[in-house]
Amino acid sequence: MASHRIGEIGLSETGPSTHHVPYSVYHGINNPTTFINQEGSAFDFGELEEAIVLQGVNIRNDEAKAPLYAGRPAATLDMFPSWPIKFQHTPRGSSKSRGESTDSGSGVNTNTLSSSIAEARREADSPVSVKGSSSLDHQKLQKPMEMAASDTSPLPSPSQSASKAPQDKRKGGSTSEKQLDAKTLRRLAQNREAARKSRLRKKAYVQQLESSRIKLTQLEQDLQRARSQGFLLGACGGANISSGATIFDMEYARWLEDDHRHMLELRTGLQAHLPDGDLRVIVDGYLSHYDEIFRLKGMAAKSDVFHLITGVWATPAERCFLWMGGFRPSELIKILITQLDPLTEQQFMGICSLQHSSQQAEEALSQGLEQLQQSLVDTIAGGPSIEGMQQMAIALGKLTNLEGFVRQADNLRQHTLHHLRRILTVRQAARCFLVIGEYYGRLRALSSLWMSRPRESMMNDDNSRQTTTDLQIVQATQNHFSNF
Amino acid sequence: MQYQAESSWGYQMTGSMRRGGGRGVAGMGGDSSDPLERVVRLASESAVVVFSVSSCCMCHAVKSLFCGMGVSPVVHELDQDPSGKEMEQALALLLGSYGVAPAVPVVFIGGKLIGAMDRVMASHINGTLVPLLKEAGALWL
Repeated sequence: MASHRIGEIGLSETGPSTHHVPYSVYHGINNPTTFINQEGSAFDFGELEEAIVLQGVNIRNDEAKAPLYAGRPAATLDMFPSWPIKFQHTPRGSSKSRGESTDSGSGVNTNTLSSSIAEARREADSPVSVKGSSSLDHQKLQKPMEMAASDTSPLPSPSQSASKAPQDKRKGGSTSEKQLDAKTLRRLAQNREAARKSRLRKKAYVQQLESSRIKLTQLEQDLQRARSQGFLLGACGGANISSGATIFDMEYARWLEDDHRHMLELRTGLQAHLPDGDLRVIVDGYLSHYDEIFRLKGMAAKSDVFHLITGVWATPAERCFLWMGGFRPSELIKILITQLDPLTEQQFMGICSLQHSSQQAEEALSQGLEQLQQSLVDTIAGGPSIEGMQQMAIALGKLTNLEGFVRQADNLRQHTLHHLRRILTVRQAARCFLVIGEYYGRLRALSSLWMSRPRESMMNDDNSRQTTTDLQIVQATQNHFSNF
Repeated sequence: MQYQAESSWGYQMTGSMRRGGGRGVAGMGGDSSDPLERVVRLASESAVVVFSVSSCCMCHAVKSLFCGMGVSPVVHELDQDPSGKEMEQALALLLGSYGVAPAVPVVFIGGKLIGAMDRVMASHINGTLVPLLKEAGALWL
């Protein structure tokens, strides 16, 4: 996450800036794949500290200047005269990394510098600090070189001559080299050990991260599965959720999965321009898919009508616009009428009258429900003249009517869908069902996007990942949708 | 039609069983106190007849539906009828919903049984309700 972001910024950054240092840090640690590939790479946390300072400038070299810089290591390493021959010709990390690095510029860059730094660390303190500063000078000289592209040619020679100057100076002190050998050898060995240990530690840490990431995704999948099976609902619902409701929720979740499958079939069927016979099978299959949910709702209404009518089973956005435990048929027609443009006159009349009649039916049912509420209010808000238990008994009797209303509403929905199927041609019906399915799919996605919107900044990555997934779903459906 | 046969059946009770032989309801002297007969008779009297119970909200819904369409049905409130209980039972038997669902509301158009609320809704969505109403003379648009 952070690494991706910074990686992108690092790649797009071309101008000079003081922010390169932190970029390099992340750039250095972050290519976990790169590091895992370069098993024996010389770059590890121990050497990171010095790399931070010295690598700052080299980020700029990454993309365009990689080949240019490839020639540089020799020049850089010339500055460490204690190891003149061995480390000039075999910058071990760098050669290896050139072969293995997936990220060409930075990999080379990282490892040449890191190897040079590895060598730097293996020297005695004073030579290291001196060389550190001289390499810094070298980098600083390089810096103006990269910044002014036009001035590239004249500058390298002065910087190279500058680097060679201290190099020559150091090569003069050969006797002091031999005196330092024993101490530096021991130090070398210690540093090697330390570097090796930190490499191992890093490897172990990365492996631990990887395994916990895998565990996390597995847990998420289990959670998803369990939730869809109503496990959580049962756990937190407790006494409030009847088994009828739980069963319905489970079956509804399964229905949603089926819906997704049907939508896929419809979409591919339309795109592939299947013959009408095949398309008819798919369309009728979708219709019976809807018959199935109405049947399930009918059964659920018997055991827990409030669960249905209050829309606990639906996503928040759906729930907000719920009418009598489901969609409003006239709303559906309104959505469709704009999407089904090539209609014959007769079809258009048919759809308009369907919309009209569904509106009238909805109005009638709504008024009936209002009457029910009014009579309930009259019963339980009645004065003290009616005895309490009697009131409740009457009210209970009135509540049983709710089931009837939900059933009539579902009945209305079912007949609307069937009548639509009759008015339209197979192809039109397929498009129409696709529109309906996609609309509700997006409404559901909207709900989950809303739930995980950035306002809840304390939320973990799960939500943002889900948001991304939902966005992908929305985009994917949009892409398909635009084909029609 | 049926009304006519029934009354003649009543008069022919002791004679041959030629007319109306298939009637399951045993003639109680052919009087109109037979609940089903009463229902049928009432249903034939007007273009649109609704059997309802005044406290039933689904009946209210049906009434709203017709009023919304510009139809004025004749409503018989069975709870205000002396033989209402029996008529309700007869209706339930007619619909086949005895003990399963409430017997009311029941709608007759042009003397013909349409059914309970679900059938009325279905026929409205299917577009068959309006032609029926026009045919019965309840709607003039």
